[in-house]
Amino acid sequence: MINNDHAPILEVAGLSVSYGSFQAVKEVSFTVKPAEIFGFLGPNGAGKTSTLSAIEGLLSPVSGKISIAGYDIHKQPLHAKANMGVQLQSTSFQPELTIREIIKLYSGIYGISLPDEKLQSILNDVKLEGAATKRFGQLSGGQQQRISLVIATIHDPTLVLLDEPTAGLDPQSRRQLWERIEAIREKGHAVLLTTHSMEEAEAVCDRIAIMDHGKVIAIDTPEALIELHKNDPNVISVSRKGKITLEDVFIGLTGRTVRS
Amino acid sequence: MEPKIPKFSDAFLSLLRADFTTQWRNRRSVIMSLLLPVIILVSWKGLIDKLGGAFALSISMNIGLTAIGIMGYAISVSRDRDKGVFQRLRVTPIPTYFIMLSRLIVQLAMIALLTLFVFIVGYNYDKITLSPFGYTLTFITAFIGGGLYLGLGQLIVGLVKNSDTVNSTSRLVYIGFIILGVFGEFGLFGNALKSAIHWSPFGTVKTILSTSMEPASWNSQTTVALLATIIYAIVFSFLGIRWFKWESR
Repeated sequence: MINNDHAPILEVAGLSVSYGSFQAVKEVSFTVKPAEIFGFLGPNGAGKTSTLSAIEGLLSPVSGKISIAGYDIHKQPLHAKANMGVQLQSTSFQPELTIREIIKLYSGIYGISLPDEKLQSILNDVKLEGAATKRFGQLSGGQQQRISLVIATIHDPTLVLLDEPTAGLDPQSRRQLWERIEAIREKGHAVLLTTHSMEEAEAVCDRIAIMDHGKVIAIDTPEALIELHKNDPNVISVSRKGKITLEDVFIGLTGRTVRS
Repeated sequence: MEPKIPKFSDAFLSLLRADFTTQWRNRRSVIMSLLLPVIILVSWKGLIDKLGGAFALSISMNIGLTAIGIMGYAISVSRDRDKGVFQRLRVTPIPTYFIMLSRLIVQLAMIALLTLFVFIVGYNYDKITLSPFGYTLTFITAFIGGGLYLGLGQLIVGLVKNSDTVNSTSRLVYIGFIILGVFGEFGLFGNALKSAIHWSPFGTVKTILSTSMEPASWNSQTTVALLATIIYAIVFSFLGIRWFKWESR
């Protein structure tokens, strides 16, 4: 299936996900366009990971339609998956394998020929020159995230899904990862990321969706959301610095209660 | 945007290469699967004349097969499930069954290695020789018996989600099989239990292995044991696959 350049790369329509009697995602709809970084925000248990898992084809929704580059994830899962790259929240690879072997495994799965010189140049590019013979567990958190992103994008996918990619990283590593995410956008590809960091959402996302209790309650650019809600009494009441921030909007819309 | 579906053969070979490498790096598990059968063959050397070569070989092979299916397969699957290795593979454009098929092929290679190893040690150390047909038939029944234990390993990871619990359950089942299987065969726990053990998974595998080594002694009881082994393998695998969850949460 061929898409035109302006068609959304990811289309989610009326998605509902349930675990037994608990409905985790309720009629969620949104699109992600080419050359767009789309942020998915929400308190713990809001339904972000369930939505992402449904997009990745890891769980079957109760209802709704998900298409990636025009391919329905449930009707044509292999085509859809060939067009997406994924970095899971708890990315883990076989601990016995070296970084070279892990990259070769995934490049092989995607049918990408990767001679040792090319593999080394990829590692050099992410400042991990000496990592080829190391095990994944021997790398620092930042290095692990860089390797995970390399593997997620090894086949140059049109859609990259990142689940909290910068969680636990120091500011330097986080900035470096942001640059790599922005480089994906510059190629014209789309990125969907989940994050708890409002700073990250404001810094790299072109549009964001705020999710709560399984529903998308707001969707727009970070600036537009701040503008739209700056006079909302709930938002003003949680503001700490006088100036309304995205975090104020987020807490104003989702409430102060800490979620488990 | 053109789809980039990889060639399945390339994708599967990559998976298989990674799984064989993982198995090779897990030498402790490989050695454990081979060590106990060798210990039995070595320590029973003086008893071979009394027990018979087929008995010694079949017991040691049976214990090795148990280790491969219950300890090796089940523990590695539960660990990788816990670490999210399967979920990472499931988001790639390969059929899901490739993930398990590749692992099963590695385990089948382990069964072949174990069988060969037991034959070599049995021949060199205990001077146990079989007819060419005996060797061939034992190879075949070793795969069938190994299939039963792989099915049992699958049942354990299907029933138990937590990897620590799988670890301890597998060890308990393994030790239980060895104690009941080996000592039960000698009638140490009474005749009723001896009969029960004879028709247990351990017993039926032992029967088909030992009879395969002496094909002339194959009788209707062996055929029933073979059928029982196949039924056990199918039931364990069916339930294990049905109840299996790809993530431990």
